[in-house]
Amino acid sequence: MATLDKLKNGFKGDLEVMTNEPSFSVISIKNKKLIKKLAWQIKEEFDILYALTVVDYSPNFELNYIFSNYKNADLLILKVNITEKDFAVDSITDIFSSANWEEREAYDLFGIKFNGHPDLRRILLPEDWPGHPLRKDFKVDDEIRNWTGLDLKF
Amino acid sequence: MEESNEFSYPGLYEVIFMKAEKFINTVLNWGRSNSLWPLTFGTSCCAIEMMTFGATKVDSDRLGVLFAGDSPRQSDLILVSGTITKKMARRLLNVYEQMPDPKYVIAVGACNVSGGLYHDSYNTIEGIDRIMPVDAFIPGCPPRPEEFLDAVRVLQKLIKENRSKAQINGNIR
Repeated sequence: MATLDKLKNGFKGDLEVMTNEPSFSVISIKNKKLIKKLAWQIKEEFDILYALTVVDYSPNFELNYIFSNYKNADLLILKVNITEKDFAVDSITDIFSSANWEEREAYDLFGIKFNGHPDLRRILLPEDWPGHPLRKDFKVDDEIRNWTGLDLKF
Repeated sequence: MEESNEFSYPGLYEVIFMKAEKFINTVLNWGRSNSLWPLTFGTSCCAIEMMTFGATKVDSDRLGVLFAGDSPRQSDLILVSGTITKKMARRLLNVYEQMPDPKYVIAVGACNVSGGLYHDSYNTIEGIDRIMPVDAFIPGCPPRPEEFLDAVRVLQKLIKENRSKAQINGNIR
C-alpha cells in the first residue's frame, strides 16, 4: 500500500508493519501517545472507522482499530497495546466520529479509559452496574446474579 | 374489646350484607376475568408468538382478551414476552406501575420463568418473579400460541376463585 510507506517514514521506529498486502495491512504502534498524530495521518487515506475491538491478554490489553475507505474498500488494522499500569489511551473521537460509541463500548465492557472523550458513559449496561464483564478475571458471583438495580418491597 | 361467652345468632341485616358482598364480588370477578385487556411487552422472539395469539387462527378475542388499548393506563393484564435484561427491568417496572389495579401478570417464555438460555448470565433477570408478582407462567422457547390461551384460562380461573396475586395482596379497588 502506498500510504504505508508514507506512514513508515513519518514514524520511523515506532511503527511496525506486520502484514502488507495490496488491500489489507496490519500495523502496530509501540508508543500509544502517538495515536492521535497517527490517526490524522490515516484520515488522509482511510475515511471510516469500522470497528474498535479489544483483546484481553491479561495483564495487557490490545486495541484493534479497523479502518476502511469507501473508494477501494481497503482494510487497515492498527494495533495498540496498553498495560495494566497505565490503563488509558487518547480518544480519537474528534478525528473519526464513529469512535465515539465504539470507545464507550470498550469502556463499558473492558473498563479502558479514553482521555479527551466528550461523553464517556456506559453504553450497554446500566450506569450503576458493578464491574466490566468481558474481562478474563470477571466472575459471575452472587452480587452480580442478584443485582436488579431496583429497591424492591416484596 | 371484651370477649363475651354468650352465643348470639347473626342478625338478618348481617346475613343479607355478607351474602350481598359475596354476590357483588362474584359478579365483579366474572366481569374482570372475561374482559382482560392485555398490554404487550414484547422484547424478543416470544413477541412473534404473541402476535399469532391475537390473530385469526388462535383467536384471543373469544376469551375476551382484546388487543385494544395497548397503553398501560387502559390495561389490566401485562404479557411480558421476551428476555428482560437488567437495564430493561427498570423500564418494565415503570410501565407496570402505571397500570390501574387490579393488574395481572403473565410471564411468557423460558427467559422469564428461570433465565432460560441466559441462565447464569451477568445481564439477565433470571425469572421476572424476582421483580414483580406473576400469576401464570408459560414455559417454552418460544411457546406455541395455544399455550397463551391455556394461560389465560388458568388466569380466569384464578380470578374467579379469588386466588390471583392482586387479590391475595389486596390490591383491588
